[in-house]
Amino acid sequence: MEELLNDVVPQEDLERFEKKYHHEQELDGEVSTETKFEYAFCLVRSRYTNDIRKGIMILEELARLHPDGRRDYIYYLAFGNARIKNYTEGLKYCRAFLEIESNDQVRSLEEYIKKQSDKEIAKGMAVAGGAALVLGGILAIAMAKNNRNRDK
Amino acid sequence: MTAAPYNYNYIFKYIIIGDMGVGKSCLLHQFTEKKFMANCPHTIGVEFGTRIIEVDDKKIKLQIWDTAGQERFRAVTRSYYRGAAGALMVYDITRRSTYNHLSSWLTDTRNLTNPSTVIFLIGNKSDLESTREVTYEEAKEFADENGLMFLEASAMTGQNVEEAFLETARKIYQNIQEGRLDLNASESGVQHRPSQPSRTSLSSEATNVKDQCSC
Repeated sequence: MEELLNDVVPQEDLERFEKKYHHEQELDGEVSTETKFEYAFCLVRSRYTNDIRKGIMILEELARLHPDGRRDYIYYLAFGNARIKNYTEGLKYCRAFLEIESNDQVRSLEEYIKKQSDKEIAKGMAVAGGAALVLGGILAIAMAKNNRNRDK
Repeated sequence: MTAAPYNYNYIFKYIIIGDMGVGKSCLLHQFTEKKFMANCPHTIGVEFGTRIIEVDDKKIKLQIWDTAGQERFRAVTRSYYRGAAGALMVYDITRRSTYNHLSSWLTDTRNLTNPSTVIFLIGNKSDLESTREVTYEEAKEFADENGLMFLEASAMTGQNVEEAFLETARKIYQNIQEGRLDLNASESGVQHRPSQPSRTSLSSEATNVKDQCSC
């Protein structure tokens, strides 16, 4: 799973599908579902967070309006969110998918997100724990000083 | 998947391509897990698998990109072809249409990979003899005409699955030995790793050398 998430879209591919997207937009005033999906598929695999967010927005729209490709959109919504460490959203999409279809590909993405999210939580607790220690230290010093002042 | 407790000398990149439902993911699953995946839904976009094999006493890590066969992914999965050292092109011997589309898959492969990429044709579902629509001879002729390696295999029974993946690797390795594949080219699909972990290496590779025979 890690390899898939770390794999970055070649810049020229992203640019090619971006061009196709804008071309259709200018020419017809609207973009075909196919082109939207191709562009979003590249965006969520970009190295830049803003691209990924843009890809997520397109996929959200596609998932809302086009039920036939929904499983693909939902998977890549989970995928994109996982790549920008939006683990809660990512898990939400995995679960939504798995409620409809049993799927090992989605299950391994879900497991990966869970693991990463647990790691983040542990990290957060370590930081919070560290902060509590520091705060405790400061308080202890302040109190000691206070006591000393009172002793004088 | 957990990191294998092995040291390896090379990484080869593979892609698996072919029409929807020919059994690409099942072949990969059979190769990496030695199991048949009975109900296998359509792959979404791309899947990934890895396994370490041995050729000529050299450990080779295969990194295998398994592409979706659905038409809607055709254009976007082309970016995975780049830099593949091996391409496994799969059709289903019980569905002639999947065989008829091979020339289009082959054109993509030739256009998007480099001349030294080894292309291996696999006629999958060889266990379903009674519903066969493509003869072995016909496919063999197609393979010979186009300079492809070829085997019929069955992801269900496992027949010839190892062989297809391993023979591709042997051929790539042979190309390296004979200097037909430039290891320094970024698109060769092969990365060379020094066989002896250097003193400065602090990765798990170094610490796991002595565990190589743990079964």
